[in-house]
Amino acid sequence: MIDEDQLNFIKKNLMKYLMEDYLPFPVNKSVCHEWANGLNIRKGGATIIYTGCSYQLAELGKKFDEVLPTLSKFKGVEKFSSFLKVFYKPKDTRSYKILRNIASILKSSNVDFGYLYEDEPYSGTILLEMGMMDEFKEYAKKLVQLFDSYGVKRIITVDPHTHYTLYRIKEMNSSSWNVEIVNYFELIKNVKVKGEGTFVFHDSCLYSRFLGMRNSIREVIKNSGIVLKEDEMVTGKETSMCCGGPLAPINKEISDKIARNRAEALKSVHNKVLLACPFCYANLSPYVEAYDFAEVVSGE
Amino acid sequence: MSDWDIAIKRGVEHNVPRVFKVLREHPYLEDLARKVREGKLEVLSNLDYYIEMTMKSVERIGGKAYFAENAEQAREIVGKIVGSGKRVVMGKSMVAYETGIRKYLQSIGNEVWETDLGELLIQLADEPPSHIIAPAVHMTRERIRELLKEKLGVDPGDKHEDIVKVAREFLRQKFLTADIGITGANAVAADAGSIVLVENEGNIRMSSVVPPVHISITGVEKILPNLEYAIYEALVQAAYAGLYPPTYINVTSGPSSTGDVEQKRVSPAHGPKEFHLILVDNGRRKANEDPVLREALLCIRCGRCHFHCPVYRALDGKWGDPPYSGPMGAMWSGVVYNDYKPALLCSHAGNCREVCPMKINIPKVLEYLKSKYFMMKAGTRER
Repeated sequence: MIDEDQLNFIKKNLMKYLMEDYLPFPVNKSVCHEWANGLNIRKGGATIIYTGCSYQLAELGKKFDEVLPTLSKFKGVEKFSSFLKVFYKPKDTRSYKILRNIASILKSSNVDFGYLYEDEPYSGTILLEMGMMDEFKEYAKKLVQLFDSYGVKRIITVDPHTHYTLYRIKEMNSSSWNVEIVNYFELIKNVKVKGEGTFVFHDSCLYSRFLGMRNSIREVIKNSGIVLKEDEMVTGKETSMCCGGPLAPINKEISDKIARNRAEALKSVHNKVLLACPFCYANLSPYVEAYDFAEVVSGE
Repeated sequence: MSDWDIAIKRGVEHNVPRVFKVLREHPYLEDLARKVREGKLEVLSNLDYYIEMTMKSVERIGGKAYFAENAEQAREIVGKIVGSGKRVVMGKSMVAYETGIRKYLQSIGNEVWETDLGELLIQLADEPPSHIIAPAVHMTRERIRELLKEKLGVDPGDKHEDIVKVAREFLRQKFLTADIGITGANAVAADAGSIVLVENEGNIRMSSVVPPVHISITGVEKILPNLEYAIYEALVQAAYAGLYPPTYINVTSGPSSTGDVEQKRVSPAHGPKEFHLILVDNGRRKANEDPVLREALLCIRCGRCHFHCPVYRALDGKWGDPPYSGPMGAMWSGVVYNDYKPALLCSHAGNCREVCPMKINIPKVLEYLKSKYFMMKAGTRER
C-alpha cells in the first residue's frame, strides 16, 4: 500500500528542488508567474497576492503523481532536472484565467497589492501534508526570510493549501513573523461579485474544517447569485469528504478511489460541482463537471 | 462495486444519520462527553497513581487485579487463570485481540468462542476485524449467509433477523456450558474497582455472569476517576456509536455477592465466584508521556471516526494494525505496535476530528506520527 522507494524518492528530490528553486518539481519558473503578465501589478510591497504556484502546478502535480511509481525505480533520473528547469513550461491557461479573475475582483474592490513574480516561492504544502515536518520547518525558515527580504506585512492567499501552510508557518514563528495572512474570500465577502447557476459545493477540507471558513465562503457564493444545493449526508461539515488529492504522492490508486467516491456522492446532489481549490479540481474533474468559484464569477 | 464498497455504504447509511439523530434528541450527551474527556485527562495526568488505586479497589471488593506490561505478560496471566481443557466465552474485547488471548488460549488446549456476533463472524472467517465496534462491517449479509452455511452447517436465509437467530442458537449452548467468561471493559472506576460494559446483544451479560469465572482485560487508559464518570463513558460511547440508548449497561464490581442474610455481604451468589481484572500497558504509559500521543489515549472506541473518514471508506477495512483500524487505528497502531506507517495514509480531511466525542485532534496526532516515521527512516532522533 505504501512504497518505501517512492517515499525515499520524494523525500530526497522534493527538498532538493525546493531548496534550489523554491519549487517542488524541476519546471521552468515562468509557469508560476506568467498569469500576471499585462495586469500591471507592481512588484513587491507590504501587501502581496500570493499564489504559492498552487493553481499553476496542480495539474502538473497530478501528472507527477502518476509517474512517481515508475520514476522512483529509475536510477539517475535526477540528472534530467536541470534540463527540465530550463525548457519544461507546461502552461495551464485555465489556472491563469482563474488567477487573473481573482486579481481583477480584488482590484475592482480597491484592494491594493503587489506580486513577487519570478521570486514567488511554492508554499511547501506537500512537505506539511506528507508529514515531513523537519524538512517543512527548514523550508519554512527560507520562506520567512524571503518574505521578510521584500518587507511583506500582509499576504493575500488564493487557495486553501497555501493559506493553511502559511497559517502553520505563522503558528511556528508566532513571536518573530509579524505578518497578516488573509484569504481572498475574506476580502471579497462585502464585495458584489456576480455569478449564476445552480451547483453543489465541494468544500475544501482545509477551508471548511481547519480554517473555519465553511460558512463565510458559502455566504460569498450565495451573495453572488449562485444557488447551492445541500444534502446533510454529502455537504455537511462532518460528512463532506476529501477529494483524495493529498494522498496521491503516497498512493495514487487510493487517492483516485476517494475522488471517484466523492464525485459520485456530489453527483447525487447535483450534476454541476463548484469548488475553490486547485487540487480538488484536479482530482474531481475527471469524474464530474467541476468549476472553480473564481472561473464562474466576475467583479461588478 | 466490491463487497467492501457495498458493505461500507450500507454501514454508513445506517450509522451516520442515526448518530446525528441521537445527538439532536439528547443534547445532554455532549455535556457528558466533555466530562468524560475531563475525567480521562485527570487520570492520564496521574496514571500510575490511578492504576494503583484501581488495583487496590478491585482487591478490596474481592476481585483479583493484575498489571501486564505487555501482550506476553497478559497472555501468561490469562493462561494461568484459565488453564487448559476449558470452554471459554469471550465478549468483544479489542485489548484481548491486541494481546492475542483467543488464539493463545486455543493453543493451550481450550475451546474458545467469540460471542459478539461480529466477532464470531470474524472468528469463523479467520479474518482480522475491520471496524473497532463493528468488526464484520466489511461483510455483506450475502457473505455472512454463505459463511454461516459453510461453518455452522445451517442456511439462515437472507434476512438480517434470521442470520442473528442462527448465531443466537449456536451460541446459547456455549454460554450455558462455559467455564470462563472473558470480557473487556469500556471503563474502569478507580474509586470503586468496578468495570462498566455497554452492549446491546446481551452476550456480555451472559459471558460475565453465567460462567463461574469472569476475567476482564482492558487497557490502563480505560480508567476513570470514579464510577460516575465510568457510567458516563458508557453512555457517551453508546451514543456516538449510534446505539442509544444502549440495550444494556453492565456494572461489575468483583465476584457475585448477596446481602440477603442479615445484611451481611457474602460472595459468591449466583454469578461468578471469581473476578479478575487485568490492566494492560503495552505502550500506553510511554504514549502518555508524549503530549501529542497522549491524545490518542482519550479514544473511547465509539468507531464514529471510521464512518466519516474518506480513506477508511475507500480502503477495504485494512487500514491500521488489527484490531485498530481507521483514523483511530492509525493512531493506535503507533501507540501499541510502534507502527507509524498507517498514519501516512491520512489525507487530513479532518472529519474524524469533527465527529470525535473526545475532541481528539486525530489529524494532528497522525501528522506527528508521520513525522516520527520519516525521522525513524532517516535514523534521526526519536522524539
